[in-house]
Amino acid sequence: MIKSLVITHGKLGNELIKVSEKILEKKIDIDCMCFDWEEDGSVIINKLEAYLNKNKKNQIIIFTDMFGGSPSNICLKHINSSTEVITGINLPGMLKYLTYKEKNLNFKELVKIIKQGTIDGINVLGEYLGEKKK
Amino acid sequence: MSKKEIEITNKLGLHARAAAKLSHLANTFNSDVFLIYNEDKVNAKSLLGILTLAASIGNNITIVAKGKDEKKAVEKIIELFENKFNEEN
Repeated sequence: MIKSLVITHGKLGNELIKVSEKILEKKIDIDCMCFDWEEDGSVIINKLEAYLNKNKKNQIIIFTDMFGGSPSNICLKHINSSTEVITGINLPGMLKYLTYKEKNLNFKELVKIIKQGTIDGINVLGEYLGEKKK
Repeated sequence: MSKKEIEITNKLGLHARAAAKLSHLANTFNSDVFLIYNEDKVNAKSLLGILTLAASIGNNITIVAKGKDEKKAVEKIIELFENKFNEEN
């Protein structure tokens, strides 16, 4: 089974999940951990380890908000064949995941599709419209 | 093949929630369903695909379906457009 976890600075992850639920009009099954600046860093590291231990039998996709940020960095040592991290998650990437996770794709394929969906969601509208007019 | 054109009349156009409703509905049919706007053709079963049309109020969209339930698919999707995605009174 594929599970997913969002780890972000502040409450960004919670909001991303809330907005996705609003758009899809359903409760979505994604776990979330928020990185609290006031908190000792070891708290979230321990939470992540506990989460991964609890889900040892699952494949896990972790979404983080920024490559190189603490939420991503604490995941580095946990990456293996059944745990992958996608950094820089945005709403299109999240929606891509939610609409593809039911399609029974293999883990690597799903990760690849989400990454592409996240990238494709970034556009400069003026350029985009300009290309369309060509 | 079943095909019909409709004008977008809801204020926000094919925005995220409307696109989610549309793709959800399109996925309930066996037929392949596409939306055509200007020269762009997207899979109506893909939420993010629909969003790339960036279609707004006043724009005309053509719905095309091909398969066993193509007529019903076009009919129901037209209904959703006509009902303004159930987001306006």
